[in-house]
Amino acid sequence: MSSITLTNIRKRFGALEVIKGVDISIADGEFAVFVGPSGCGKSTLLRMIAGLESISDGEFRLDGELMNDVSPDKRGLAMVFQSYALYPHMTVAENIGFSLDLKGVDKAEIKRRVGAVADKLQLGKLLDRKPQALSGGQRQRVAIGRAIIKEPKVILFDEPLSNLDAALRVQMRAELQELHRTTKSTIIYVTHDQVEAMTLADRIVVLSEGQVKQADHPIALYKQPDNLFVGQFIGSPKMNVFQARVEAVDDTSARIVTADGWTVALDSVKGLSAGETVQLGIRPEDLSLAEPSNADITVQAILSERLGMETYVSFQTKGEPAIARIAGDHRIGTGEQVPLKINRNACHLFDSTGRAIRRS
Amino acid sequence: MAERPDTPKTAASRYGLLFVISLYCIMPFVWLLTAAFDPGAGLFLEVPAKVDLSNFFRVFQEEDGLLWLMNSLIVCGGATLLVLVLSGFGGYALSRTHAWWKRPFLYAIILVRVIPPTALIVPLYKVMLTCNLAIAGVVRSVVPPDYVRSVMRFVGFIDGYLGLILLLATMHLPLALWIMKTFFDSVSREYEEAAIMDGATFGQRLRRVLLPLAMPGLAASGLFAFIAAWGDFLFPLTFISSPELKMLPLGIYSAFLRDSQIDYGLLAAIAVIYTAPAIIAFALARRFLVQTFGGGLKG
Repeated sequence: MSSITLTNIRKRFGALEVIKGVDISIADGEFAVFVGPSGCGKSTLLRMIAGLESISDGEFRLDGELMNDVSPDKRGLAMVFQSYALYPHMTVAENIGFSLDLKGVDKAEIKRRVGAVADKLQLGKLLDRKPQALSGGQRQRVAIGRAIIKEPKVILFDEPLSNLDAALRVQMRAELQELHRTTKSTIIYVTHDQVEAMTLADRIVVLSEGQVKQADHPIALYKQPDNLFVGQFIGSPKMNVFQARVEAVDDTSARIVTADGWTVALDSVKGLSAGETVQLGIRPEDLSLAEPSNADITVQAILSERLGMETYVSFQTKGEPAIARIAGDHRIGTGEQVPLKINRNACHLFDSTGRAIRRS
Repeated sequence: MAERPDTPKTAASRYGLLFVISLYCIMPFVWLLTAAFDPGAGLFLEVPAKVDLSNFFRVFQEEDGLLWLMNSLIVCGGATLLVLVLSGFGGYALSRTHAWWKRPFLYAIILVRVIPPTALIVPLYKVMLTCNLAIAGVVRSVVPPDYVRSVMRFVGFIDGYLGLILLLATMHLPLALWIMKTFFDSVSREYEEAAIMDGATFGQRLRRVLLPLAMPGLAASGLFAFIAAWGDFLFPLTFISSPELKMLPLGIYSAFLRDSQIDYGLLAAIAVIYTAPAIIAFALARRFLVQTFGGGLKG
């Protein structure tokens, strides 16, 4: 059992508060991902859990035990660093076995356990090499080996894939999932890449400016963002947001008019009143190409990006340019009129402060 | 510019020119080596009639060659060791601190290297004399009178090892601090943090992680400090007067001045002995200097 509870955690550097009262609980065996734009405090939070940064205020409990002032090596955690931080003067075997060696574990026992870890990570043939003779993916695996040999309660990852190229990143994502499946250990993983977060996490914690914006299962975040920030942060390309006004409401539906004059009638909306200002969020994938006759809106294309299986069409609005993600390959020229259909059931509504207005 | 095809003539003239230049560069060393092994060496370079080690024997038997060598090694070794310890810790601290005085401090210390040592020799002598008097006072109060001189040879600031070691270390510390500070700037903090997570104590982090990581930097700063101290002539000349503390450069100098007839063979032998440790130091340090350092960093 290794569950983590953070209660009202704060971090101050002098007068500057970078973590502003964070509450998170992570269950045993969960793969939790902290995600957010750079400077949001996600790495600081991870380092506070690791014990590399002190906790200014609040409580960090591991399995119910207060950990605030426990030294990093006594917390039973392991960490994989962004640069991997493999000791360049040690071989792979020495790197993996370093923590055991420090503890004074018997040489034969170290050798046995390093061997077992190396087998698991397919590093068996590389044990006598120095880190500089390894590829990026192999270094990553050594860093993981160095973490799991300690049999930690929790493994912390600080942007571990950011140094790898795109293809290797996909492969390592799969390996990390496999690692989580086989070790069943609790994992906290920091990234700024929301695709990584979506594919790996059991639970994503979205952070912004030192605060938790929402923490939930990836699909729940995608489908029901609590606020505009999460709505725009999760999903790629990001959600389009249109300034709008509620024109008319009845019991279960509302008619919304955007700044561009587009009228969208939404079902299952409660608690709105006519005249209210709202923000309408439509994901690019919820806009599809339509026949001119049954189009909801007709827009003027700025740019189209053809990816083969789909086409991203950027178009002009009164606010920021928006994007439609259209299935299939289409040749759409700049300035061309594009008729689009809106998937009304998937539209998101936010109030003027950015808080989500739930649709039942 | 396109490379012209090498005709035998141009190749010959090119290599000929290179040969002349290398001959010009290597000539002093050739002269030194031939003269050192030639019992009848004179002022001019000549093929020795007989090659033996007699000049070297004379350095150690007739002269106090071994003593000079040991004195040089003690003083320069001591200064280098001091520079290594101080620049290792100091460079680390300067690299990691964010204190406001960091930049001003770094520029201030490099001034020590900018001022020619000769310009400082009088005030330095004053300072060293004052320190020497203070030390002598302490030594006299704790050591029986008969032993004062022999103790002062070690801890004295004038005509003693300690003073010269401290002086040479001070002169060569600024550059070493710069080298080590710049070096540690390139050593990721994550290595130390990884070691903390692995459960290493402060001592273990220092010895098993930081020290091995710092070896190339220490080799560079140690080599520069040693070679600079080893080649220094002014400070031993100014601050050493006892024959039993004489160092190698003074040995050459006095052998050169002593007789009306200059003994070139002997001088060359001392010079070879004087050159050897610097070359050995370079050979030892080179291994670390060229060591690639890409290691566990980003792939």
